[in-house]
Amino acid sequence: MTKEHPIEIFMPPNILKAKVGGRIAGVDMAAVKRAEQALANLKTEFSDWINTDVGNLGEARDAFAAAVNGDTRSALYRAAHDLRGQALTFEYPLVARVATSLCSLLDGVDDAVPLTLVDAHVNAIRVIVRQNIRLANDKTAIVLTEELDARVREFLEKAKPKR
Amino acid sequence: MSGYRFDRLKILLVDDNPHMRRLVSTILQAFGVTKIQDASDAKQAWVKLRDFSPDIVVLDWMMGGTSGIELTKMIRTSPTSPNPFVPVIMLTGHTHVDRVREARDAGVNEFLAKPISVNAMLSRLVAVVDHPRPFVRTKSYFGPSRRRRDGHEYQGPERRSEHDGAHAGVDAVA
Repeated sequence: MTKEHPIEIFMPPNILKAKVGGRIAGVDMAAVKRAEQALANLKTEFSDWINTDVGNLGEARDAFAAAVNGDTRSALYRAAHDLRGQALTFEYPLVARVATSLCSLLDGVDDAVPLTLVDAHVNAIRVIVRQNIRLANDKTAIVLTEELDARVREFLEKAKPKR
Repeated sequence: MSGYRFDRLKILLVDDNPHMRRLVSTILQAFGVTKIQDASDAKQAWVKLRDFSPDIVVLDWMMGGTSGIELTKMIRTSPTSPNPFVPVIMLTGHTHVDRVREARDAGVNEFLAKPISVNAMLSRLVAVVDHPRPFVRTKSYFGPSRRRRDGHEYQGPERRSEHDGAHAGVDAVA
């Protein structure tokens, strides 16, 4: 039977398997341990890395404040998104949470977002890092992050939904 | 590494964040991968795709300029693509189902959510080596099949259509 739009399905040769070798059941625990140890060895650098990423966030915020447009908003979102993805690895779980909230704010609507709310997020992240708050259950920081979450929810509920 | 000779692999790592490149590279090296090249944007990546001929591309979704999604579409469909079949593992902080669909529809093989864990990275590598997906060419899509790999041949009536993978493959995300 002829179709108007034929669909072609094919399996390319598995070159990778030939190259890498066969499968042995189970996870290679030695390799996993090696990788976890290698990551642990990187931990001494995490403080510098998070400070660099927070610095990038601050620069993106300044550019956004100076000229609100699609490019500066995207750059701010990318800087927040980097922290969202990496801060937990860098052992700053509350930074990841605040960065997630900032991403929700920037990604949730097409409309302009209040700079004061952006600044509240950026400043919260700075404070958490400056005070070296590593615990996910730090009471003061949790109050702060919950307040930010609530303010973002409130703004998004009132704003026009993203198209 | 028992069973796998990851030292024989060439991996291209594309991320505009140097810390993420270092993290992923450290994990890959611990797995035994020695031939790793990186790129901080799509332009560099395109040159290295041609010159380095990677076996696997690990790339970030969220990059300045050309995004990881756009780069994946170029890899799959550009007439000048050095290798439209190269497995793509996408790193992302996005976990919403709509975003996952978008990645699948671009031609991504595997999806790796941040924060990245060692086990998750290993499982995605093993997936592209041990369980490659068949490729599908339709009027609107070219790339790995977006349907779940369950190891069983489907015996029922034909369900695939021009729009199939746009909706069918989301549950394949590990």
